[in-house]
Amino acid sequence: MDRLPGEYERALGTYLQQGGESSLKQAYELGRRALSEGRGILDMIGVHQQVLEKILINGQKADTVHQAGEFFAELMSPFEMTHRAFGEANDTLRRLNESLESETRRIARSLHDESGQLLAAVHIQLRQMARGLSTAAQSNLVEVESLLEQVEQQLRNFSHELRPTVLDDYGLLPALQTLAEKFSKRFGLPVSVDGKVAPRLSKTIEAAMYRVAQEALNNVARHAKASRVNIRLWRAPGEFHCCIRDDGVGFDPVAVAKGSRNTLGLLGMRERLNVLGGTLRIESTPQQGTELKILVPVEA
Amino acid sequence: MGALPRKRTLVNGERNPVEAAVPARSPIGNTRDRVLEEIAVHINGDTDIVAARQKGRVLAGTLGFSSSELTLIATAISELARNIVLYAKQGEIVLRVLERGEQRGIMVRAGDQGPGIPDVRRALQGGFSTSRSLGLGLPGVRRLMDEFEIESRVGYGTTVTARKWKR
Repeated sequence: MDRLPGEYERALGTYLQQGGESSLKQAYELGRRALSEGRGILDMIGVHQQVLEKILINGQKADTVHQAGEFFAELMSPFEMTHRAFGEANDTLRRLNESLESETRRIARSLHDESGQLLAAVHIQLRQMARGLSTAAQSNLVEVESLLEQVEQQLRNFSHELRPTVLDDYGLLPALQTLAEKFSKRFGLPVSVDGKVAPRLSKTIEAAMYRVAQEALNNVARHAKASRVNIRLWRAPGEFHCCIRDDGVGFDPVAVAKGSRNTLGLLGMRERLNVLGGTLRIESTPQQGTELKILVPVEA
Repeated sequence: MGALPRKRTLVNGERNPVEAAVPARSPIGNTRDRVLEEIAVHINGDTDIVAARQKGRVLAGTLGFSSSELTLIATAISELARNIVLYAKQGEIVLRVLERGEQRGIMVRAGDQGPGIPDVRRALQGGFSTSRSLGLGLPGVRRLMDEFEIESRVGYGTTVTARKWKR
């Protein structure tokens, strides 16, 4: 049984007849309770509208609407507090993401540059050592060198996975093309990337979009059983669009959203885009592939 | 303390106002702020909360705050007074009209001799995992007002000071 409309009607009725702080406080307390019961803003507007219409039909003067508006503001004031808290949390999340990205970039660079230099020095030392050694020992050293090269390759891969330098140096489109190439080689699944992203997007958007595309490709590799993937990027006035399409087995987005399987990946993509004020739409039908439609607002 | 109030009104005056357990010395404001008017409301229950809201609304109204700003100030008073009733049973809300340079504003100070807050930082975080998860209470007040200070000692009480300036 929903008690709110009745209580709100009584309190508003009292306020319209007598005014007074204690009715306003009551509206505030009702709003506070409604908020902790998990009710939403549109729900509150609905309650107010319903009650106000009822009161107006019973016939009262014209400034009732104005007065009722003040009363309504009291009901909504607790929601304002929560709304501001959400805004702060969102800002914090954005800053956290940014510092995470810059930290990752730093680690990736030093992994690439510093350990690369060290390994180069080791190579030189080994070659100098080799001169004075027997043939048998030399062939051992050759093996050591080939192992070292593998280590180098691994480090380069790690560094690239952490933060592709091509993203910082050349922007989103080349970075995604590189990502697609590596992905195709690894999974034997052709990925085409086309579109236009000039002028370059902000570092924050580029990083987020790269991660989202990376996660989307991981999902395709894990679940889709697709034979090809296409990534399309384009700019519109004030907007950036990205569309990632595969021809795999598809899924029921509603069922996946309800179940826990894989939702972390989708949730992560959503979170990254939410922080930028962007949206993710998933269109998928079983057996007919999946399309992710991403829209991020950008400064025109 | 700063300049003496030009006018001090006690609401529910027959009762002695509770002296705040923690002396209110604020890092910002106090010495620079001139107090133009002061009203103290003893808080002991729901009707006192109504009185404090009403006095706050009137005081802030004289400064020309918009009606939605008045609602936010009343909300801050409600949350602070509510905390007094809930945790300390009784205390005092002091409302002041302040002048700082060219600016005028309202100060709301809630003082009590209640149990105090063991972990002030946590109480202010309004961590999204606690019962304050909706961002009501102290974190809510912090978000509604321009300045916010709190001093609390376990076993002695709590003083919260919040100010909002007219733009």
